[in-house]
Amino acid sequence: MRTDAAIPAGDIPAGLVEPSLYVGKVTPGSLDDQVLAFPETKPPRKWYFALAITLTAALIGVVSIGYTFYLGIGAWGNSSPVFWAFDIINFVFWVGIGHAGTLISAILFLFRKRWRNAIARFAEAMTIFAVICAVIFPLIHVGRPWLAYWLFPYPNQRALWTNFRSPLLWDVFAVNTYFSVSLMFWYLGLIPDIASMRDRTTSKLRKVIYTVLAMGWRGAASHWQHYEKAYLLLAGLATGLVLSVHSVVSFDFATSVVPGWHMTIFPPYFVAGAIFAGFAMVVMVLVVVRETMELKNLITMRHLDVMNKVILSMSCIMGYSYMMEGFTAWYSMNEFLHHGFMNIITGTYGWAGWVTISCNILIPQILWFKKARASYFWMILVATGVTIGMWFERFVIIVISLHQDYLPSAWRIYKPTMVDFGILLGTFGIFFTLVLLFARVLPVIATTEVKAILPDAQPSHHGDDHHV
Amino acid sequence: MSETSYAVLGTFETPDALMQAIPKVRASKLGTVEAYTPYAIHGIEEALGLRRSPLGGMVLVMGVLGALTAFGFQYWISAIDYPIITGGKAPDSWEAFIPIMFEVTVLFATFTAGLGMLFLLNKLPFFGHPVLSSKSIKSITRDRYVLALEAESEAFDSAAAAAALQAAGASQVEILPAPDRSPFLTSDYILRAAGGIFTACLGAGLVMYFAIKLFPVVAPMKYMQDQPRLNAQKASSFFKDGHGMQRPVAGTVARGHLPTATGTQEEAATLANPLPRTREVFAAGRQAYKNRCEVCHGSVGDGVGSLTAAYGGKPANLQAQQFRDYPDGKIYWAIVNGKNAMPSHAADLSESQRWAVVHYVRALQRAQNAKDEDLKVAIP
Repeated sequence: MRTDAAIPAGDIPAGLVEPSLYVGKVTPGSLDDQVLAFPETKPPRKWYFALAITLTAALIGVVSIGYTFYLGIGAWGNSSPVFWAFDIINFVFWVGIGHAGTLISAILFLFRKRWRNAIARFAEAMTIFAVICAVIFPLIHVGRPWLAYWLFPYPNQRALWTNFRSPLLWDVFAVNTYFSVSLMFWYLGLIPDIASMRDRTTSKLRKVIYTVLAMGWRGAASHWQHYEKAYLLLAGLATGLVLSVHSVVSFDFATSVVPGWHMTIFPPYFVAGAIFAGFAMVVMVLVVVRETMELKNLITMRHLDVMNKVILSMSCIMGYSYMMEGFTAWYSMNEFLHHGFMNIITGTYGWAGWVTISCNILIPQILWFKKARASYFWMILVATGVTIGMWFERFVIIVISLHQDYLPSAWRIYKPTMVDFGILLGTFGIFFTLVLLFARVLPVIATTEVKAILPDAQPSHHGDDHHV
Repeated sequence: MSETSYAVLGTFETPDALMQAIPKVRASKLGTVEAYTPYAIHGIEEALGLRRSPLGGMVLVMGVLGALTAFGFQYWISAIDYPIITGGKAPDSWEAFIPIMFEVTVLFATFTAGLGMLFLLNKLPFFGHPVLSSKSIKSITRDRYVLALEAESEAFDSAAAAAALQAAGASQVEILPAPDRSPFLTSDYILRAAGGIFTACLGAGLVMYFAIKLFPVVAPMKYMQDQPRLNAQKASSFFKDGHGMQRPVAGTVARGHLPTATGTQEEAATLANPLPRTREVFAAGRQAYKNRCEVCHGSVGDGVGSLTAAYGGKPANLQAQQFRDYPDGKIYWAIVNGKNAMPSHAADLSESQRWAVVHYVRALQRAQNAKDEDLKVAIP
């Protein structure tokens, strides 16, 4: 693709050339001055204000978790038969949020979708922060967090081994692998950018920190060759993880016999939901980043437009999944399954079912309109709706299925406590605190990757144009 | 030039200029040619004649190794070392091992790709490389493309190299002197930072040690420990009799056994002990007697048990003539139904245990009232 001003307008038929991925003139140097200089500027007052809010929320979470440690998990609303409630809902929710980053950095990389380059770094960072929030929950859910290492198979005095047939153990492996791979992916991508920051900073302290983090990266062609190969391999490996992590999370449910959980549609349904929720979160944060960090020329409306299209398509997959859930319940002629499905739309928690359906299926349909995809109001409304809707979807799956299963004598209404809400709020606080800190200290756009797709970034005599 | 130099760097403004210069500079055969660029330039590895990256093969090998490790580990644990049947699956049902095999494969492959690239192939971290202290490094990581002619021997002619680079179109040429000390970890900052981290860890460790030693630690998860439950032998205001431990409801029998002695004690007198007098039966009887009878009737059956003083009651002295004359059935009846203050043991002794206790009581009686002929039996 060439966007040279030299080409007279009108020579190219409309639709032949993709619209530009950035606005105005962007050169490698201007990119560095815009993106890499940002962490060296003094944070504005509104950044401190935002940090104060997120830290307060995080503090509420820390206090709530502290209270849980003091009292025990009786501080939560969990009780027979709803033993899995906010803790597992939040775990599934946050792990799901992370999937957008992995999809953008891995699958879209393999598909050579160049629009990913400007947003990949941010989405990958959000993946890591979301997984950090997610792992809090299994740790505190085990009741005795100081014994959480028992989850790992290690030789011990009790001569016991973990049960390798349990999806909960698969989860331990899946989430830990996911976090390690995401961190590796993110850090590898950061190394050349940190090297650029190292060479432009004038502050001594920053120079030391960036020197250590960049590991002495010097941009040698022989290094780039291995680096590109490693990045490609990591993208391929992480692609498997995009599909596997939430599939394994869904096995926690699907392999049990609880009506409403025991369904073959669960793995793809969970993966689609994870990408859906993750993209909504990325759009929400991206709009704020774009506006406050003055990155409108690099994160363009076209990026948001494409993101919104992904959200719309995922919303349709979710709608299909919900209908299949109903169809399965009806077609199975299983009265427990039937009762479980009717609970979602007419039961005690029927309102939660309808919040899920309207936020995930109905509201995103507005994105069929090009104007809605180009309007902050609608995209923020949809993204917020999807975030709420996807949280409630996990509430529906977990609480509604558990509170009325096979044994009517055990049925009970579940009520969360303030501690439950405090921990949920706290993880949002931790997540956004990390996002704010990241935006201040590291480049939010992968400058190296964007440099490589600028016009004339690649030698023109090189025969094929696979770099375009 | 007599002074030794590490390399000569020539700066180019565009990737096109760089790519056109590479064959010319390589043709000069003055030294090793290396390029430094702000991002990966496509096709540069062919132009520079670089070996294909072996990373793909390394990752494949390690990925396969990861899969085999995970399979072997799970198989050994589940089928050999700790074969517990869960979910009705055979211990060696390998299908359940697939998810973890996949995850470990990805984990091994990822660490090979990332760390193998950084540490093995690129030999990073390398903080003291001469290029890092060159003037050109600032433009390399920004927007310039640098070609380096690196010295291969003492005979390296930096002036000729600079001329070759300029002839190839370099806009700027920098002669990089050879480093005067070991290139590894020359940055004092790194050493200072490592020292700082070590001191901080040491300080934090000491603070934690004294904090735990000097201040009482709040017991976590109290709710889980202080549960509203009854401990055995403790009083309870919940039950009318004030005992925490309640007797089974009337008529309870031991699981799987019916009380065979009903009616009066006289009627039970005709029951015969069905158990043979074997070592095993006496051992079982002795165990049951120790568990259930000894606290009141005493270790030799003389009615002086450890609880006698505490309760002030008068448990039967089984050594008394009256009980030595009892037929087996009457003792059995007393065990099943209880007598006077003695509770029924129908709920906690099985039928054969009761008869074993009868045998044991007989043995106690005979041991306490041994006759001369018993000695003859004992000493053949």
